[in-house]
Amino acid sequence: MTGSHTASAQAPKRTDAVIVGAGAAGNLFAAVLAEAGKSVLVLDPGPAWKAGDLYSSSIWSRRLRWGGPPVESTGANAFGAGFNMGWGTGGAALHHYGTWPRLMPSDFTMKSEFGKGLDWPIGYDDLRPFYDRVQEEVGVSGDAEAEVWRPAGAPYPLPPLQQFAQARLLAKGFHAKGMKTAPSPMAILSQDYKGRPACLYDGWCDAGCPIGALANPLVTYHPRAVKGGARFVNGAHVTQLIPGKTTRQAAGVEYVDSTGTTHTALADIVILAASTVSNPSILLNSKGGDWTNGAGNGSGLVGRYFMTHSIASVYGFFDDEETENYMGVTGAQATNMDHYGKQSLGGGAFGSLQWQLAPTMKPNDLLGVAMARADLFGADLTAFMERAVHHLAVMFGFGEGLPLLENRIELSDRIGPGGMKTPRVVHSFAPESVKVSEMAAQLGLGIIKAGGASEPWAGPMATAHMMGGTIMGNDPSASVTDSFGRSHEIDNLVIAGPGLFPTAGAMNPNFTNHALALRSAEHLVERWLS
Amino acid sequence: MQTRQAFDGQRRDQHGPDRRTLLKAAGIGLFAFNVAGVEVLLSPAEARARGAVLSVLSAEDAALLEAFGEALVPGARAAGIAHFVDANLARPHHESLLTVRYLDVLPPHDAFYRAGLAALDAASRAVLGVPFVQASAAAAKPLIAAMLPGTIAPWQGPPAALFYLTVRSDAADLVYGTRAAFDRMQVPYLAHIDPPSDW
Repeated sequence: MTGSHTASAQAPKRTDAVIVGAGAAGNLFAAVLAEAGKSVLVLDPGPAWKAGDLYSSSIWSRRLRWGGPPVESTGANAFGAGFNMGWGTGGAALHHYGTWPRLMPSDFTMKSEFGKGLDWPIGYDDLRPFYDRVQEEVGVSGDAEAEVWRPAGAPYPLPPLQQFAQARLLAKGFHAKGMKTAPSPMAILSQDYKGRPACLYDGWCDAGCPIGALANPLVTYHPRAVKGGARFVNGAHVTQLIPGKTTRQAAGVEYVDSTGTTHTALADIVILAASTVSNPSILLNSKGGDWTNGAGNGSGLVGRYFMTHSIASVYGFFDDEETENYMGVTGAQATNMDHYGKQSLGGGAFGSLQWQLAPTMKPNDLLGVAMARADLFGADLTAFMERAVHHLAVMFGFGEGLPLLENRIELSDRIGPGGMKTPRVVHSFAPESVKVSEMAAQLGLGIIKAGGASEPWAGPMATAHMMGGTIMGNDPSASVTDSFGRSHEIDNLVIAGPGLFPTAGAMNPNFTNHALALRSAEHLVERWLS
Repeated sequence: MQTRQAFDGQRRDQHGPDRRTLLKAAGIGLFAFNVAGVEVLLSPAEARARGAVLSVLSAEDAALLEAFGEALVPGARAAGIAHFVDANLARPHHESLLTVRYLDVLPPHDAFYRAGLAALDAASRAVLGVPFVQASAAAAKPLIAAMLPGTIAPWQGPPAALFYLTVRSDAADLVYGTRAAFDRMQVPYLAHIDPPSDW
């Protein structure tokens, strides 16, 4: 049996598992379950993207961003929902940059070690074998020895990616300050690997990688899921879970197709892998039966502890050099984690810091050259652009945002498909998290200046990545799921994605997302309905 | 052949290009515009040059958007910023190519543009004593410079900084984000999938 993309009218009404969301976690779950012989239906609201849809253009890349019901974003440090969320098969991983560092052991034990934030119900050692297996499966390029900060784990299966002038110039500043740099660990192929071609370094990762050098779901777990027999329905907005015979059971999900027709998909297991924002939204909208406070929300914690990373952007000119800032990869060419220790920055800051050096900058778009000096316009902008497209360099300091109960995904008063309420994200950084970003900017200015950059400046603090909202834990009164993503309150409901993270660290979340999803999916297969 | 006719701007039947043609055209950077009662597929710059009818924005709003876009990013007017924004506002939200799509501006986005333009024009009349389209570049400069820090006054509309960033991004897309712009700046385009004729 082989899987396929199916019209909603022909979708099976009952399967062993229904998976909500065809992003990274959803496709991984679909592959593992389908290969185990389970019948799987995957529902996704967006289109069924193909590699040929991924035009090399910042303008056209916007089609890959969230196109569903509007997400309100508010708070003192509002989260960039529209930029971070994905749309269609592949989800956010279709336009993600493939920067794949592992979380550090201290990220799992922050509450115990420092009395701040939360602890995970598992430690790094529990997740390490899954990191190792995922990197072997999808192909990660890097230099484990050069990453002196890296926790124990198998070496990368591929050597590091090629570096260009921008990375070499920025590294000089770190070295001048006695700091280290290492090639960034990237889920992008430095060599041909398992039938996929090596990266061409054209820097269009943000627009999706049509050759499949970057490990997006279209070339990793999606083909396995389809081959295993999973059925995919696109244009399917899941509105709510359907209660089962008891409050501890879900019978399946309700969804609305592109014509506005409502369908039900019944299943033994429901897997919510919609996104960090959409998973809580669906749960909170599920008020059937006795779920008066939303499905799986007896604790009142569905949607709570939403987290994001701060970004300190530091720029400088190297007028005597062609920085080749249009070459490479959108993620980063090199990294530094000298200040990953939670208290290493001092000065009232608390939380980890990760530097990413030399991402590709195209002339336009949010992360492009023109936005590096958003205050310039007119003739001043014209002059800036002529200089910057050949001589600008940038590095980003990703700062940890602490898990705060008040940061949340909640329902707004706006009505979306099927009459359900649309989500609102409320987010403000803790003062010590703001301090991390402020100190990162000051640190970065010193570094880039030490490397010989002229006229260095720091951009305004931004945000990236989305975590929390359906956190895992051992205590059902203080978390939404167990360490495998199983709901504490609904026995046949599994939640997947970075929404499970109790802490955010300062690492790009998709590698950990994959490792957690593999651990959970295999656990689910081993203990199917027992 | 219908597609060829459409690309050549020749007269089509009364129903205009079919959906397949429109989708294909969208894939190569063209939008359907009405020129003298005929639907043709054009780039925004061509649409402006040929006086294509706007679908969403009024002529006054378009003139204001062109003036503001040109002040932010020289070249945006001729590149067709008003027609670019207008064509995308006419599309369903999930097919829009505008930056506003991921700036967390709640739809409807045509209302956002209209309100922002109205606020800008009112500020210009109050501070400079003339409509924005009549303001000289030198006179408009301090007014525009006050938008990003949010100190522009009076201002009654969407957040001034957000509106500034949105229109500036639209203008930058057209002036700096196209293949032709890359060539002009001597930046290799390096396409995986060869991009549209215009961007």
